Amino acid sequence: MNWIHPLTPETDESPALLGGKGHGLVALRRLGLPVPPGFVIGTHACRAYLRDGRLPEGLDAELVIAVQGLEAATGRRFGAAQRPLVVSVRSGAAVSMPGMMSTVLNLGLTTEATGGLAAETGNPAFVQEARQRFLTSFAAAFRETTDDAQAATRPSGMAASDDAMDQLRAAVCAVFASWHTPRATTYRELHDIPHESGTAVIVQAMVFGNRDEHSGTGVAFSRDPNTGEKTPFGDVLFGRQGEDVVSGRSTTRPLSELAGREPAVWGDLLAALHRIEQHYRDACHVEFTFEAGCLWLLQVRPGGFTGRAAIRVAVDLADEQLIDRRTALRRISPQHLRNAHTPRMRAGDGLDVLARGRGACPGVAAGRIAVTADRAARMAADGPVILVRPYTSPLDMHGLAAATGIVTSRGGPTSHAAVVARAMGKPGVVDATALTVDVAAECVRAGERVVAEGTVVTIDGTSGEIVIGNLGTATVTVDSHLNRLLDWADEISGNRSQRPDQERLIAAHARL
Amino acid sequence: MTGSDESLALHALRCIGFAELSRVADAAGLPEAEAESQLIDLAVAGLVTRTPSEFGGWGLTEAGRVEDARRITGELDATGARDAVAAAYEKFMVLNPELLDLCSAWHLRTVDGVVASNDHSDRAYDARVLERFVDLDQRAEAVCADLAAALPRFRRYRTRLAAALDRAQSGALEELVDSTTSYHIVWFQLHEDLLATLGIPRQ
Repeated sequence: MNWIHPLTPETDESPALLGGKGHGLVALRRLGLPVPPGFVIGTHACRAYLRDGRLPEGLDAELVIAVQGLEAATGRRFGAAQRPLVVSVRSGAAVSMPGMMSTVLNLGLTTEATGGLAAETGNPAFVQEARQRFLTSFAAAFRETTDDAQAATRPSGMAASDDAMDQLRAAVCAVFASWHTPRATTYRELHDIPHESGTAVIVQAMVFGNRDEHSGTGVAFSRDPNTGEKTPFGDVLFGRQGEDVVSGRSTTRPLSELAGREPAVWGDLLAALHRIEQHYRDACHVEFTFEAGCLWLLQVRPGGFTGRAAIRVAVDLADEQLIDRRTALRRISPQHLRNAHTPRMRAGDGLDVLARGRGACPGVAAGRIAVTADRAARMAADGPVILVRPYTSPLDMHGLAAATGIVTSRGGPTSHAAVVARAMGKPGVVDATALTVDVAAECVRAGERVVAEGTVVTIDGTSGEIVIGNLGTATVTVDSHLNRLLDWADEISGNRSQRPDQERLIAAHARL
Repeated sequence: MTGSDESLALHALRCIGFAELSRVADAAGLPEAEAESQLIDLAVAGLVTRTPSEFGGWGLTEAGRVEDARRITGELDATGARDAVAAAYEKFMVLNPELLDLCSAWHLRTVDGVVASNDHSDRAYDARVLERFVDLDQRAEAVCADLAAALPRFRRYRTRLAAALDRAQSGALEELVDSTTSYHIVWFQLHEDLLATLGIPRQ
């Protein structure tokens, strides 16, 4: 095979060819961890497609063979009425470009296969939902590339094809073409990613988080990305597929709830996280799905922790003798030190966490909850206000201006609300999906809990935490992990004089 | 219809939220005196109010919001522009995530794998972000042209977006994302206008 590489332990190609995601999946297979069977179409095929406007010679024949291999591995048939094979088609460039390129899920659900899967699972509602998701993601993949220069060359009429192989070819083209969407181009410009490298495409047998009550999906960090503490951290969504989080149709639960609801999955996940940490010698992050009580890993990413969390992880890993002290020092840049000095919420036991979103603008703010912009503007005369909205519109601008901090239950770190929070320099938390804003009842709800307007909360625009009460802020003055790391730095530089943290680190780096 | 003369000021308020006279006039594309006269008529009709406070200004009442929706829907049906506006909205929504990426890149940047606030000390980086704004604006211009062809009141957005970008290119970099007249704020209002015009709830 020239263009296609199976996701098996034997595959030995570089991340430049397999893409970061594909390379990580091969690593997981080598560790003996559960990865849905699949194959990677290399970035060189993407480059050929973008250059010539069509799939390269020989790829089609390889695609047929690769699908046959997948059929053999799963005991299923692509597009068949009996035990149909259903696949996901995802992008995966050498350098991660999250959300910039197309993904097609549940591909292969032709009319016949849909009927077959419904009969097999005895759950027609689940299969109809899967089919709908396929049609939606397939259409979106094409829409995104419509205004693009590649549009003229993409296969036409495929959106309506009811042939599984035709669907697959079309989806591969759509993912390749999505490399050149203006948004992806802009992303590369801003992040110094070469325009000519192209993306790999990963085709895998689908695992369904919406299959039954013992299914679901989530993300897990091997350690807490806010503190670096050695506790698994993340979100889980029971009975749903991952895209439901993005669309805001479902609410995630803290990862730890998996322990009680699916102890076997939880046990397997903890073991996998441990195994992955040992391999990468770093904290890591995985995306996972469990289907009918069975765990599958869909992506792995080592590292990525920042600030205080990165410092703690580096020091702890050295203590655990997974890395040496020099490696620990090498992993911490002056930027991590600067980040570590961002004001954070005072930590401690017994914090009454109302909800957790994503940090949109760093900083800590405390104030009384207001649930409309008008009330925020009025209440601000009597002291600090935290404006809590589902999302923001220009009609909320006067409330945003009056508020000390901003929370939204929807939207992400690049929503209008997040942009406005940063423009105004106000601590902001977005995507706090557990919260519902009830304007009529003048309150905020989190599950069973009802918090009235006027209640004092503290928000942390770094970690995304929303905590009841006024907690005050803590800038790190005494941080034992930081102090130990800097002691190691002084040992290496041989300079123990009093000077700023950054100078101590830089002096050590110069000698590493 | 209770005289549609002051519809421009009413709808401007619907899209920009509480604002001082100068901003209402700018959004509506009216001389200030004319905008003020419209606002006073609207206030007499109970459709807008003026709140004198630090975060106040002119704002819509609930009745004003209902009346604006009625007039906007009427305009859309009378002109037969619904399909054209809906098609332009689709194109706008392709550009919207890219614009928000750019605004985020203006405030935040990844250095050594750490997302840090952009302290604007690296002029080359800022120039790169500005260049991408200009590139996106060229594509936005086509969407604005479609909208203006469908409903003339949308013409104002092209003028305001181009003016914000001009100011930024002349060195007033806060006109990209940070000021109340910035490219992002005008874009945000255009987004609101499209949702209001088509009667789509914000997601």
